[in-house]
Amino acid sequence: MPDVKLVNVTKTFAKGRIVAVDHIDLHVRNGEYLTLLGPSGCGKTTTLRMIAGLIEPDEGMIYIGDKLVTGLPPEDRDIGYVFQQYALFPHMDVWDNVTYGPTVKAWIEEKRDRIGREMLEMVKLYDRSDAVPRELSGGMMQRVALARALAAGARLLLLDEPLGALDAKIRFELRYELRKLVNDLGLTAVHVTHDQGEAMAISDRIALMKKGKILQVGTPQELYMKPKHVFVANFIGESNFLEGYVVETDDRGCIIELRGGLIAHAIDKTRRKGERVVLAIRPETLSIEKGHKKVLNGLPGYIERFRFEGTDVRYEVTLKNEDTIVIVRPALMGEWINEGESVTARFSPDKSYLFTYPTAGLRRELALE
Amino acid sequence: MKGSSRRKLIARTAIFAVLTSVGIFVLLPTFYLISFTLTQWTEIYTDVFVNPLIGDANWQQILRFSALSFRLSFVAVALDFLFGVPLAYFLARKRFFGKAFLEDIITLSLVIPTSGFGVATLLTWTGISGLGALIGKGIFEASYVIPFINVPFLMLIVHVALTFPYIVQTLQAKLEDLEPAFERASRTLGASAFTTFRKIIFPLSLPALLSGGVLAFARSLGETGATMVVASVHTTAPMAIVRWVSEFKLATASFLGFILIIVATVAILSVEFLTRRGGTFKIPKFFLAFRIEDKILKREKFLSGKSRWIKDIASLSAVAIVVVLPVIVVLASVGTYWSVDPDTGLFRGSVLYQLFGPPNYFNALMKATSTSFLVAAIATYIAACIAIPSVYLIERYRFGRILRYLLRIPLIVPTSALGLSVLLLWGPSGLRLAMPGIWLIIITHMVFSVPVVVESTIAGYEGSEIRMYENASRTLGATPYDAIETVSLPMLKRGIFAGVILSFTRSLGETGATFLVMGSDVTVPPLVVNMAEALAIPAALFASAYLIALSLLLLLLFRVVVRR
Ligand SMILES: Nc1ncnc2c1ncn2[C@@H]1O[C@H](COP(=O)(O)OP(=O)(O)O)[C@@H](O)[C@H]1O
Ligand SMILES: [Mg+2]
Repeated sequence: MPDVKLVNVTKTFAKGRIVAVDHIDLHVRNGEYLTLLGPSGCGKTTTLRMIAGLIEPDEGMIYIGDKLVTGLPPEDRDIGYVFQQYALFPHMDVWDNVTYGPTVKAWIEEKRDRIGREMLEMVKLYDRSDAVPRELSGGMMQRVALARALAAGARLLLLDEPLGALDAKIRFELRYELRKLVNDLGLTAVHVTHDQGEAMAISDRIALMKKGKILQVGTPQELYMKPKHVFVANFIGESNFLEGYVVETDDRGCIIELRGGLIAHAIDKTRRKGERVVLAIRPETLSIEKGHKKVLNGLPGYIERFRFEGTDVRYEVTLKNEDTIVIVRPALMGEWINEGESVTARFSPDKSYLFTYPTAGLRRELALE
Repeated sequence: MKGSSRRKLIARTAIFAVLTSVGIFVLLPTFYLISFTLTQWTEIYTDVFVNPLIGDANWQQILRFSALSFRLSFVAVALDFLFGVPLAYFLARKRFFGKAFLEDIITLSLVIPTSGFGVATLLTWTGISGLGALIGKGIFEASYVIPFINVPFLMLIVHVALTFPYIVQTLQAKLEDLEPAFERASRTLGASAFTTFRKIIFPLSLPALLSGGVLAFARSLGETGATMVVASVHTTAPMAIVRWVSEFKLATASFLGFILIIVATVAILSVEFLTRRGGTFKIPKFFLAFRIEDKILKREKFLSGKSRWIKDIASLSAVAIVVVLPVIVVLASVGTYWSVDPDTGLFRGSVLYQLFGPPNYFNALMKATSTSFLVAAIATYIAACIAIPSVYLIERYRFGRILRYLLRIPLIVPTSALGLSVLLLWGPSGLRLAMPGIWLIIITHMVFSVPVVVESTIAGYEGSEIRMYENASRTLGATPYDAIETVSLPMLKRGIFAGVILSFTRSLGETGATFLVMGSDVTVPPLVVNMAEALAIPAALFASAYLIALSLLLLLLFRVVVRR
C-alpha cells in the first residue's frame, strides 16, 4: 500500500540540452488515482519511467512507500507498468504473458497458476489463455497488459497512456473499467495521458505538467474551478482570454478596462490598481443576447461564425475591440442567432478569473511546447 | 495501345537479359561443381575411393582435412557467440564515446584482406617483434594445437577475428529494431537484466542469431587467405582444394569442393526456412522445469548486479587482442624491419633489401597491385550493372524471393570451391572461354560481387519507404520509368555505393579462389601468401601493411558513404 514521493526530481537528455523533467515535487497518496496530464513532450513519460526505475533521475529523490528507491533496478521496485503499445511479448501466449512476473520471481507453481487464473478471470479473458497477442483486439491486449502488470503482485500501478491506442468508443468503456478495478483492488495508480477529458473522468487528483514542470495539482473540480495559471485555465476545458488593466479596486473586487475601452467587473480582491491582467472566461459560462444592451459585464459585438456541434452550438463573436471570443450554449435551449447579427455577450463576475499578465507574453504562456 | 505493347516487349527483354546474366555469371559457376561431380562420378569415385595406386588415401585425407575444418569452424563460431553477443548488446543499447570507432573496427574485420591479416596474426603471436617482444621469444609455435578441442591456436584466433562481425552486426541490427518496451516490460515485471535477455531478447532475436551464425560458420569454413599463412603444418579443407588443384588432382579437389558447397547450401537454406516460419521460436518447456529455473534465476539476478560490466570488458578485450593488436603490430613492424632485421641485425633481412634489393619484391608488388585494382574495378562494375536491375526484379516479381535465396548461396560457398568451379566451367579443361589469368579472375570475382551489391542495395531498399514514394510519384503523373529514375535510384544510391565499395574490397582481398584461376596474373593477396611461404617475412610484412592500409582507406570511404 505505497505512496510515492518525488522530491526535486530532474532529468535532462542530450547532455543537458533537453530538460525533460525540471525540479518537480509530487506526492501521490496511498490508494490514490493520480493522473499526470499535459501536452505531448512535457515530460510525463519521463516522470513515470523514473518512478519505475527504467531511467534514473539526474537530481532529486524518489520514495515508494517511505523507501528511497533511487538507484534500485525496476525489477526490485514492486511496480506494475502498462505501456502505451502494451508490449505484450509476441513469442508468448496470453497465459505465459500474464504469469511472466510470477515465473521470473520464482513463486511456487500453485501460487503462480492461481494468480494467473484470477487475473485473467478478472479481465474476462481466461478463455483466451492460449491466444497469442497478435490474435487479440486492441481492447483485449490492453486488458492482458493490465492483468500481466497486476499478476506480478504490484501495489503501485503505472500506466503510460494505457488507453491511447484504442478506438474512441472502447477507450470510453475501458476508462471506467480501469478505474473500478484499481479501486476494488485498493491500488495506488499513476496514470499518464494528454487527454484532459480522460483525466477529468478518471482521476482522484490531476497533476498538470508543462515543459517539465508541474503547474498545479488538485482534484478535477479544483483545476476546472480554480485554475492557478492561464495555461491550466486553457488546458482544462477551454477559456477566452481578454487583456486589460485594473482601473478601480473596492471591497467587492475590481474593475478592469479591456482593450478598446470595454469595462468588466471581477470579484478578485487581490489586485492593485494599474496592474496588467488577463481575464479568463469559459465559453460555457457566457450567455448571448440579440442587440447591443447596456448591462453589467455585457460585451457588445457581432456573430462572426456559427457552428452546430451536436449537443452544443458554438458562436465566435467579434467584439467591438476586434478581440474574438467563443461562446458555447446547449443546442436545444433558447433560439439560435444567425451569423452577422449584433449581440451582447454576458458573463457573471464570479464565473471569471483574473491572472497577472505573464511576463513572457500570453501567447508564449499558452503555447503547448 | 501500340506503345504499351512495345513497352511490354522491352520490359520482357530486359528481364530476360538480367536473368540470363545472373544465371550464367553467378548461379551457373556456383552450382557447376555439383553437376560436374555427378556427371564425372565414376572417375571421381575411382580416384577418391579405389585408387589403384593409393587405395582410399585421398578419401582419408578428405576426411581428415574436413574434420579439422568443421571443428575449427564450430569452435570459432562458439567463441564468436561468446564475445559477439555481449558486444552486440552493448553496441545496440549504449551510447558512449568511441562507439563509431568500435563499429569501424568491426567493419574492418570484414573488409581486411585476409592474407595480410594472417601475416599480422602470425607475427603477433609467433614473432619476436609482436607480443613476443615482452618475453624475448615468440609466445607460441606456429603449429601449436589447443588440447582437448584439437584445433590449431593461430587458425582459431584468425577465424574468430574474421567471423565475429557477422554475429555482432546481424544481432546489433536486430536489437536496434526490437521494441525497447519489451525489455522494459520484463524488467518492471520483476525480471533481472540477464533473465530478460534469456526469456525475451534471446527468443525474439534467435532468427538473427542463427543467420549471423550461419554466415560466420560459412566464412570460417571457406576461409583461405589468412588460414594458409598461419597454417604451419596443418591443412584445412579449402586449403586442400587449392593444393590439389595445383597438383592437378582435380577429381579429389572437386569432390571436396562438392562436399563444401552442399554443406554451406544446406546450412543457409535450412536457416532461411526455419526463420521464415513465424519469425520466432518457442523454447522447449522442459528447460523451464521449475527447480532449475529457480537456480538459474538466482544466478542471473547475481550476474545482473554490480558485476555485469565484466562481460563487456571481456568482449572488448577479445576484440582488442584478436583484431586491433595484430593490425598495430604489423604496421609497427614495418618500421622495425625497415632497414635491418631486428633479430639478426642483418641488412639482408630488412624490408628495404627485399623490396628493392636483389629479390626485387617491389616490382612484383606493384604489378600485383595494378592487376588487383583492374580486377576489382572491372568485376565490380559489371557486377553492379547486373545487380541493380536484379534488385528491381527481386522486389517486383514473385520469383524474386527465390532469386534472392539463390543469390545468397555464392556469398557463403567456400571461395576455393567457387574458383575450382569457374576453372572447370570456363577454363582450359571446360569450355575454354578463358585461360587462367586476369579475365578468369574477373569472372570468378563476379560470382560473389553480384550478390554483395544485391544484398547491400536491398538493405537500403527495405530500410526506406521507397514503394510509397514511388507510388506518390506515379500519382503525380510519372511513368514507371520516370519514377525509378527520379525517385528510386536516387534513394537507393547509398545502398548501391556501399555495395560497390564492399564488392571492391572483397575482390581486392580475395585469396582462395584467385589462387586457382590467376595463372601468372598474380594479385596482391596470393602474393602475400607466396611471400610468407617463401619465408620472405619482411616483404610479406610490407605487403600486408600495404594491403591493410588500403583497406583502412576503403573503410573510411565506406563510412563516409554509409553514415552521411
Ligand atoms: N531517451 C531520450 N533521449 C532524448 N530525449 C528524450 C528521451 N526521452 C524523452 N526525451 C525528450 O524529453 C522530453 C519529454 O519527453 P516525454 O517524457 O516522453 O514526454 P511526454 O511523455 O509527456 O510526451 C521530450 O522533449 C522528449 O523529446
Ligand atoms: Mg509519453
